[in-house]
Amino acid sequence: MTSTLSRRDFLKMGAAGAAAVAIGTMLPPKVAQAARQAGLINAEGDGTITSMCEMCVWRCGLIARIKDGRVVKLEGNPEHPHSKGKLCPRGQSGLMNTYDPDRVLTPLIRVGKRGEGLFRKASWDEALDLVASKMQAIKDQYGPEAMVFSSTHNLSQPLFENLLYAFGSPNYGTQRSLCFNAMITAFLLTYGIEEPSRNYDNVEYILMVGRNLMEAISTSETSELSHAIDRGAKLVYLDPRYTKTASKATEWIPIRPGTDSAFLLAMINVIVSNELADCDFVRKYMVGCDDIQEEMSRYSPAWAEQITGVPAATIERIAREYAAAQHNALAHPGWRTSNFINSFQTERAIATLNALSGNVLRPGGCLSAEIEAEGAGLGAPSQPPYPRLSALRLDGTPWKYPLVPLKLGVFQELRDAIVSGEPYQAHGWFISRQNPIQSLPDRTKTLEAFAKMDFIVTVDIIMNDTAWYSDVVLPEASYLERYDPLLPVGDKAYIRQPVIEPQGEAKSALWIYKQLGERLGLGDYFQYEDEEDYIRQQLVPLGVSLEDIKAKGYADMPEKDEEQEITFNTASGKIEVYSETLKNAGFSPWPTWEEPPMPASNEFYLLTGKVAQHTQFGTQNNQLLHKYSDEPKLWMNPKAAADLGLSSGNWVEISSPVGKAHIILLVTEAIRPDCVYMTPGYGHLSKGLKTAFGVGASDSALHVTYTDPISGGQALTQTFVTVKKA
Amino acid sequence: MKMSLTIQPRFRLPLIVWILLGLMGIALVVALVRYAVGIGPISDLSNSYPWGFWISLDLFTGVAIGSGAFVIASIVYIFELKEFQPLTKPAVLTGFIGYIMVVISLLVDLGHPERIYYMLIHTNHTSVLLEIGICVMSYLTVLAIEFSPVVFEGIKKDKWAHFIHKFIIPFIIIGVVLSTLHQSSLGSLLLIQPTKLHPLWWTPILPVQFFISALAIGLGMVILESTLSSRYFKRGLESHLLEKLGKAIPVILVIYLISKFGELLWAGDLHFLFSSGWMGILFWAEILIGSVIPMIWFSIRRLRQNPNALLTGAIILLFGMILNRFNVSWFAIQHPDPITYIPTFMSNVKYIPTLPEMAVSIGIFSAGILAFGLAAKYLPVFDNEPEKTQY
Amino acid sequence: MSEIINHAFLFDATRCIDCRACMVACSVENNIPMNKTRIWVAGIGIKGEFPKLESASMVYHCMHCAEPDCLSACPVGAYTKRSDGPVLYDPDKCIGCRYCMNACPFGVPHFDYDKGLIEGAFIDKCTMCPQRIDVGLAPACVATCPTDALEFGERADLIAKAHARIQAHPERYIDHVYGEIENGGTSYLILSHVPFTELGLPEIGSIPVKEVSETVMGYTIPFALGWSAVLSAVAAGVHLYNQKNEKRSSAEEKLEDSK
Repeated sequence: MTSTLSRRDFLKMGAAGAAAVAIGTMLPPKVAQAARQAGLINAEGDGTITSMCEMCVWRCGLIARIKDGRVVKLEGNPEHPHSKGKLCPRGQSGLMNTYDPDRVLTPLIRVGKRGEGLFRKASWDEALDLVASKMQAIKDQYGPEAMVFSSTHNLSQPLFENLLYAFGSPNYGTQRSLCFNAMITAFLLTYGIEEPSRNYDNVEYILMVGRNLMEAISTSETSELSHAIDRGAKLVYLDPRYTKTASKATEWIPIRPGTDSAFLLAMINVIVSNELADCDFVRKYMVGCDDIQEEMSRYSPAWAEQITGVPAATIERIAREYAAAQHNALAHPGWRTSNFINSFQTERAIATLNALSGNVLRPGGCLSAEIEAEGAGLGAPSQPPYPRLSALRLDGTPWKYPLVPLKLGVFQELRDAIVSGEPYQAHGWFISRQNPIQSLPDRTKTLEAFAKMDFIVTVDIIMNDTAWYSDVVLPEASYLERYDPLLPVGDKAYIRQPVIEPQGEAKSALWIYKQLGERLGLGDYFQYEDEEDYIRQQLVPLGVSLEDIKAKGYADMPEKDEEQEITFNTASGKIEVYSETLKNAGFSPWPTWEEPPMPASNEFYLLTGKVAQHTQFGTQNNQLLHKYSDEPKLWMNPKAAADLGLSSGNWVEISSPVGKAHIILLVTEAIRPDCVYMTPGYGHLSKGLKTAFGVGASDSALHVTYTDPISGGQALTQTFVTVKKA
Repeated sequence: MKMSLTIQPRFRLPLIVWILLGLMGIALVVALVRYAVGIGPISDLSNSYPWGFWISLDLFTGVAIGSGAFVIASIVYIFELKEFQPLTKPAVLTGFIGYIMVVISLLVDLGHPERIYYMLIHTNHTSVLLEIGICVMSYLTVLAIEFSPVVFEGIKKDKWAHFIHKFIIPFIIIGVVLSTLHQSSLGSLLLIQPTKLHPLWWTPILPVQFFISALAIGLGMVILESTLSSRYFKRGLESHLLEKLGKAIPVILVIYLISKFGELLWAGDLHFLFSSGWMGILFWAEILIGSVIPMIWFSIRRLRQNPNALLTGAIILLFGMILNRFNVSWFAIQHPDPITYIPTFMSNVKYIPTLPEMAVSIGIFSAGILAFGLAAKYLPVFDNEPEKTQY
Repeated sequence: MSEIINHAFLFDATRCIDCRACMVACSVENNIPMNKTRIWVAGIGIKGEFPKLESASMVYHCMHCAEPDCLSACPVGAYTKRSDGPVLYDPDKCIGCRYCMNACPFGVPHFDYDKGLIEGAFIDKCTMCPQRIDVGLAPACVATCPTDALEFGERADLIAKAHARIQAHPERYIDHVYGEIENGGTSYLILSHVPFTELGLPEIGSIPVKEVSETVMGYTIPFALGWSAVLSAVAAGVHLYNQKNEKRSSAEEKLEDSK
């Protein structure tokens, strides 16, 4: 029986009527002057420019092809480890990202009410003066902590943090708690590093909990996983939905949402109780090896079967297969692990499984716990120390969340504190390269938070939802139009340099932050003339000129000393499967089972998950990606649909405790009967996004805010919804 | 209802003419829109259905309908069965108008009608469509020459008419050869689609089958056109001639049926006859209506000798044969539908001709009727005496 | 310059993740308007019943056949086959008859149904990126495919590679390289884990589809000449016969009259 997924489902072009436009007929893609000056373009106007993509956080190296002084194509940089010569669909659409007709190209100052989208164009001077004066006024009246700064991590983050900390505010919002807090906190506590790197060269057995790599594409890793499967590696993939990764997996386990840790704990049970791990060897590096058998004895496969719905025999077999592969087994750490409150425990179990297989202990093993410090080895402009921060952080770190690193924070808590005014009221919000209205759960509440602000300023390239509701919008240059600080990857430092002459009055973040900093009297923290000067200062320890790195695309970093001993950056210096730190904070020291909430009989788990053509909420307006996207619909299993009397194509109303949405239904076998799925990132409010406006529904309008007390991670899948005909 | 085509002093045109003009006007408007914004907005054609209503009706059926001309011409001029002379001029006129209608419809259907003459300067000799194009263009010329005596007689230039008549035989032969080529080539158009045309129809001898059926269609058309024009233009009906033509039809149809079923037998495709669902139904419909029933019908003398029954038989025959043309060019063709995700540029796997689409064909057809009527009114198309030819 | 004698693609359906990077890259490389595409995805979607499911997708290109049907069918010869592989279309000759769309067994050529006379309605299809392969680059789609589902190179080498892959994992692949012999050989070779028809590919033998059509067309001129000769002979014969009969009957009449 064939049930095709999106047979003839396609997106009609938006009202903008850009139907017949091709990339090349858009604004003349003049090559950046900086590239010409660096001699990268020859006399005929042909050449290549090496830079980095920013369509997602993987930041593949790219090479832009120039013909007759025009940028015609982006290719992957074969010498960059994250792309290895390839670009995913979003990377390939980068030119469209720059030529989006809905880009903001001048500073804008709001004239209507917030949310009306009425702005007037202003000069940079006027806009920057206004922003600085407003921020200063808030600082003078309420203290610097009343100014919230948030940015999704990007290459200019160090300068953003300068603004934040030099200003004196502790309130730092990043997207991390909506994404990988569970993973990072778990691995920090267990291995002492944020995220272990994966090596697929010799892998034989891969266990993935979610991490839909075939759709949440990280170019090089997706490629390596695919090639590993090609070579014969086995992939066991846990996901309530039949994703593209599921279709490539050797075994797809449609596990009940929220119960992954039960599955994994049962696996650990099987491995340690049958002594399949080489405990004598791992004892040297692992805390808890002696007691783990007893601790895990309660998590039998039979017990796990009750909870997960996966047969005990299957769990047992997979555990044995995993253990048999020894250090060529990999339990993937995952990425967006903000699913359930117990996701932290899931990550702890994954870390434990890897420790038991020994793959993390051997150099060249599937998992590497080597520390890669950001920015180490690069120069930086001098700056004075930051002022002492006196106020509490609104996001509860560390006074409410003792184990959440300050760098991660708890973004949803920050938003809630803005709404509640506790422990104090925030008054201003500086947002850079971030879209809190779309990213935070419970969109209504986020809009409430916005309403509480006296002043909101957004730095972005396009009129997205957050810019739509702001008071001032400062146009950043797109990643193809600007310099950013250098990014070290492996043993090289890579450059992002302008490929296209910035359109309109768009400027780089390096420039914007400096301009703002100077107006706030914080010029000492931005001691560089311009972007090129900044990079030159970064290059000083490497002894490489700017011209060299622009031509080559990268500079070699000094070699690190070979580590003789394997050490872990934990309190004990070993892998802490048993964590004293957790115990002292009042939590279970072992990976443990925490029962997740379950939906009522008339409710569904609301799943979201990536599609290969989009990055979160930032690309739905990109016409090239829109063209090749499936129409966003609500997936539902035929049995569930039949019970509700629904069929494909029906308009349905999906309701959660905090919101409602209308969406078209797609009945498909590719999902558990107790789950529904919607593509994230649609349902934009901004009419300034002419392609994306009116398409699909917003998942963030439906998500309820649930925060894990240990890692601060938001539990996105703990929202239960009802569905009925609209 | 008998209508008169006489033009009254007060310039009142009869209702039928207004209707025809109206339909032509609609077609013209649709064509202009098509030229402005493309074929897509006014039709249901798509990448799955590049050819549809226009090609099936205007090209396939239109060309078949014009086959009366060469059939009669060969009967009268090659086989010298002079008694059928009175039927030639109307048949040639029908053919001439019919082929002009084909060309007009191509001017709407082609993506670049202004480049239609490219078929004469850029030629790809393996292309069946090229052969049809050149043949149709040449045959139009021949038909013009064959019909020119009527025009010359109409404008009282009898000497010119006689001049043409002296050299008519070579043109007749050329006309028959050209007709044979393009009538059969319409079938050959499908030879390059063996994976798409259903095995009940696809065969390497498609051109032969098309030619044989064109002979039957030609005879049927002559019967139809003669009978109808006798009613509307109030002239005598050569029923005895038509009856004789009718006698030949069963012979042709027998040969046709042998070619159809014999081919299926030889290719081992007989099993498709009863196992092909809708395709089988369409096949049997076309065989029964277009061949079996007319074969029986025209064998019965009583029916042949009754003008009404003769007409009915011709209509049945034509309906069945037109169904065959539609089957071969549209209904029995499998249109590609890879199960696509997006973009659904092949999405139109259903094809239902739109009203504007059909309006174009109807308008062209109305123009043809009007042209026939005008010619019949003002030119000596119908004379009841056999031409006295001098050798 | 490319040193390859016969360029071809190799597509491995087991590797395709339907990410559509190829399609975006093609659109940018070849400056395709937003409402058109030269390559598209085909496949079975998702087949089966939860939880026993299967899926397959394929990037659908021009097959760049060795014996192209479009080339054979086009009345004005708007298609050419380069000796090193690509089948190219020349819009300057096209009259928009769309016969090529009928002829192509793979449904490749697409037409501008939304363009009128002024803008010009043409066919569009994959060109194998000659502007890239002539300077030694792979076509845009191949260059960017993250999982190397698409590969490019010398046709003979790719066929050998494909068979080697089947040998190495016989449980994974259908034991056939589609395009090796189909339609007389194509330059788009396909490996699959599901039957090729489920990827939307027609079942075609090794005899080129255009064979019958071209053979019949080859007889056109000889037939025309022969048929003319026959008809002339018949006409002449009938005429002479009738003349003789007329003379005889008029002679008989004279005889009757004279009696």
